[in-house]
Amino acid sequence: MIPNRKKYLKQQAQNGQKIMGVLPALYPRELLWAFDILPAEIWDPPGDILRANAHLQATICPIVKRGLEFILKESASVNAGYLFPHTCDSLQNLATQVKDLIGTSQPVYTFYNPKAQFNKTTRRYYLDLLQDFQTTLETKFGPLNRAKLMAACELGSKIDIRWLTLQNARRADQLELTNPEYFQLVRAGEYLKPEDYLTLLNQVEVQAGPVHQSNRRLLLSGILPPHEETLSFLDELSVTIVADDLLSGSRRFPITQLDTPVDPFEYLTDRHFLLPPCSTRASNLKERIHHLQKMISESQVHGVLFNIIKFCEPELFDHRFLVKTLKQNRVPLLSLETELLPGISGQDRTRIEAFIEMLDEQVSG
Amino acid sequence: MADNCFAGVDVGSLSTDVVIINASGKCLAEVVIATGLNGGETAQKAFDQSLNQAGLAQEQIKAVTATGYGRASVAFATGKTTEISCHGVGAHHLFPNTGTVIDIGGQDSKVIQVDERGRMLDFTMNDKCAAGTGRFLEVMAHRLELGLNELSDPLNIKGETVQISSTCTVFAESEVISLLAKQTPREQIVNGLQRSIVNRIWSMVTSIGIHGEVTLTGGVANNQGLVLVLEEKLGKKLNVPENPQTVGALGAAHIALRGYHK
Amino acid sequence: MSLVGKLKYQFMKDIGAPALMSLKDLKQHRKRPVSPAFGPPLKTNKRLKEILSRHYFLARYVPGAKQVAWVTSGAPVELLRAFDFYTIYPENHSALVGAKKQGADYCTIAENDGFSQDLCSYARIDLGHMLSGKTPAGKLPKPDLLFCSNNICQTVLYWYKAIAHELDIPLIHFDVPFVAVEQSEADVRYLAQQLLDMIPILEQFTGKVFDLKQFEIILKRSQESSQTWGKILELMQAKPAPMTIFDAFGHLAPVVSLRGLPVAQDYYDLLLKEVDERVNKGIGAITNERYRLIWDNIAVWYQVRYLATFFAERNMNFVTATYTNAWAETTGYLDIKDPWSSMAKTYGQIILNNNLKHRLGLMRKMIKNFGVDGMVMHSTRSCKPYSVGQFDLRKALSAELKLPAVIIDADIADERVWSQQQIQTRLEAFCETLEDTTLG
Repeated sequence: MIPNRKKYLKQQAQNGQKIMGVLPALYPRELLWAFDILPAEIWDPPGDILRANAHLQATICPIVKRGLEFILKESASVNAGYLFPHTCDSLQNLATQVKDLIGTSQPVYTFYNPKAQFNKTTRRYYLDLLQDFQTTLETKFGPLNRAKLMAACELGSKIDIRWLTLQNARRADQLELTNPEYFQLVRAGEYLKPEDYLTLLNQVEVQAGPVHQSNRRLLLSGILPPHEETLSFLDELSVTIVADDLLSGSRRFPITQLDTPVDPFEYLTDRHFLLPPCSTRASNLKERIHHLQKMISESQVHGVLFNIIKFCEPELFDHRFLVKTLKQNRVPLLSLETELLPGISGQDRTRIEAFIEMLDEQVSG
Repeated sequence: MADNCFAGVDVGSLSTDVVIINASGKCLAEVVIATGLNGGETAQKAFDQSLNQAGLAQEQIKAVTATGYGRASVAFATGKTTEISCHGVGAHHLFPNTGTVIDIGGQDSKVIQVDERGRMLDFTMNDKCAAGTGRFLEVMAHRLELGLNELSDPLNIKGETVQISSTCTVFAESEVISLLAKQTPREQIVNGLQRSIVNRIWSMVTSIGIHGEVTLTGGVANNQGLVLVLEEKLGKKLNVPENPQTVGALGAAHIALRGYHK
Repeated sequence: MSLVGKLKYQFMKDIGAPALMSLKDLKQHRKRPVSPAFGPPLKTNKRLKEILSRHYFLARYVPGAKQVAWVTSGAPVELLRAFDFYTIYPENHSALVGAKKQGADYCTIAENDGFSQDLCSYARIDLGHMLSGKTPAGKLPKPDLLFCSNNICQTVLYWYKAIAHELDIPLIHFDVPFVAVEQSEADVRYLAQQLLDMIPILEQFTGKVFDLKQFEIILKRSQESSQTWGKILELMQAKPAPMTIFDAFGHLAPVVSLRGLPVAQDYYDLLLKEVDERVNKGIGAITNERYRLIWDNIAVWYQVRYLATFFAERNMNFVTATYTNAWAETTGYLDIKDPWSSMAKTYGQIILNNNLKHRLGLMRKMIKNFGVDGMVMHSTRSCKPYSVGQFDLRKALSAELKLPAVIIDADIADERVWSQQQIQTRLEAFCETLEDTTLG
């Protein structure tokens, strides 16, 4: 039902589709759509890391390493350049390292995400950033068609609204999807054309009642979901992830529904500042903690699973505070650390099983 | 014997342990053998030995809980539970006032918080690195050309020490090599190593907290020097079982017993 | 702020501290043997010690007299000076802890409290200090306010966010967009506007009215200190170089943490004079300077002495570093007539906030101007903006300038990641290639 990422992009490239490789995480996707560019996001491309090790130290996060490894392969599916949104120190440097030192056959673009708290000055600057990004894209891809941008915003808004519905349905256990299926659906948005993605989302059926037999409900927090094998293992243990606080998941969708777009740039700016609190945007901890607690109570989960990517500084600083608060509130939690390797380790199996044993004992009283 | 009996089988990375108890929790057999290449076969062998030891027939064993990293390979098990829960339950049965369990095994170490009924409230486990496990001590003992017994000597802890600052096993090993090259007395190095492994475990202890009595399980609990350093850091005595490596199997047997009566 | 507190502070500042410092100086005469490879030490070292000890000493009398701000090394502190804050630089403090080889102790405190070992060691040491109150500097006053700029890294922002949450105090953040290509008009506008937005916030926080005249004086002083510092570093082009970069790591402290105060300016005037004299007299930092090296990245604080001696004994001297240069490089943009936009340019384009093309060009220039024969890069776990890209910088410079280079994998302040054997072998091999290329 969900097209395979690699095949889909290859097909699109063969059809003459402009495709831009986009590194994590936040960027004005609608602006790219308006230039008829399909953003293909590069989070955790599979395969061995070989060449990237010659350019990056051992203590750099695997997202950055995998991203570089992918770029060094010069995939034919990326034909309109690479975009590096400003997410963290390592990605910031990787952008200039690729552009100014390593070199690639593709142009390299960057987009700054303001780290200041929201106010008039920050808002104004974000509008300027959009304007500047437009100008940059125009030099390469010709003048922007305002009507197309408007249409892109409307399409984006429909996707956002549909997402809100599906998120709520997952929470109410109305989606007949396994854990891997659910996250495949979430992550299809990383490479599908918006119209294809919307069609896909609309095809997902929302059932009437609870569809999973299990009474074990977890919330997943982190940058990326764990590997599919880990997600399947959770299914085997009758655990359903009913809500997420992932950067590759719910942190990319506005907290509330926005009004229909009137002015595209105003709309995109509002949308950006209505995204949930996130470590990479340096949201303050009070907001982040509050948001997580709200999600926990609204989705009535039994516990929280943190999937921590090794060496991910922004997330690791917040993690200590989130864990502290949850422990104080006696919310069971488990932290897994990943280097984005395929499969599931024996240690992680034990961790997860022990965590479930603990949950069950606590639930059974 | 008309009594119903229960077994716990712990298939660990180094040893496979079986404990058999009767319905009142009395220990009838206790077997420890090295885990071979085939965890399933080793488990069967250890189980047969334990039946022999207890003078029981297999039918008298009403339930078997398998645990340890090879728990899935135990064909005759009626249930499986992680070694984390098992160490909690086992420690609770040996020392009912236990609130925190520190389990230092060959590959993994864990800190577990249990309540007054032995139920797990929280736990943490070492990361992939071997620096806080039995493996670390083995590597270092080998490097120092010492047996594990000599390494464990509590006398080493009393004297002077050196700083082993690396948190990585490989780096620590090279630190040991340079200390040896500088003619540093071996007992000082051993002292430094014991302290370094305890520091590593300590961060797990603080993340779980110290609740009530602290019980040390796993093979490394036989290391008297390490026990001393840990007690120094803890500021109180540790509960150390007579057979620390079979606590997981004991816990598993009790879980089997509990499950049978549910 | 109480009157008694203010009086006590003023007394200690003018009379008490200088008196105590000179007493302390009399007591402190336990000297470690210095390698004969070094030339005569700088006389100004003594003054540096005085200034820094006094700064930390006075900190005890600050509560009740002045408001305290914790500030990042790249933040536009001039604005805080205009409101008379007493400033503490946690990075500087963490470096001090690191230099005393106590980094691991402080890091462990933070790690045991749930902070990951993979986080920056400056941050872990500071959080360890915050959680335990421990410090080798006697006693540090708790902050009333935090002032942070992400122009050196995003890490400081996460770190200050953590302190702000833990202590429940306000954080003023100067958000500085990374210069991926060049600073845009929008960037400059954004930066200048943020500074202007801070004024009413600071006025409300301190109850003081912003005085533009006073601010301009501070700004000018700050620029002068930075420029004098720049001149001092330039004098190291002389052969033999009058200082080693390891000296400069120490002499850097006032321009980082006392910038904008008269004491810093006086200090650099003094240092400039002495260094100039040494150049005129041909006095070198090491007795037999045969090879000149460049250092990249922050110092390895717990091994400064080891590294200085290692190289001095091989007749090699570090004559320049990207790190020490960072507080002089962009000060030329400052313009008292247009303070806000010019501060935007000064603080927005510093080396760590600028792209690697810029860094490569800068290093190329330094290598040429300082007659550099070889390069040592410290790849530090703690600092991603400084370390990500080093492998390719090295490749580019080696290829283009035939420059022998070595990368050592270590950390700024957590001594646990230092692997003596491995590093010594690498450095020795580097020295061998250096001797080969320059002789052959």
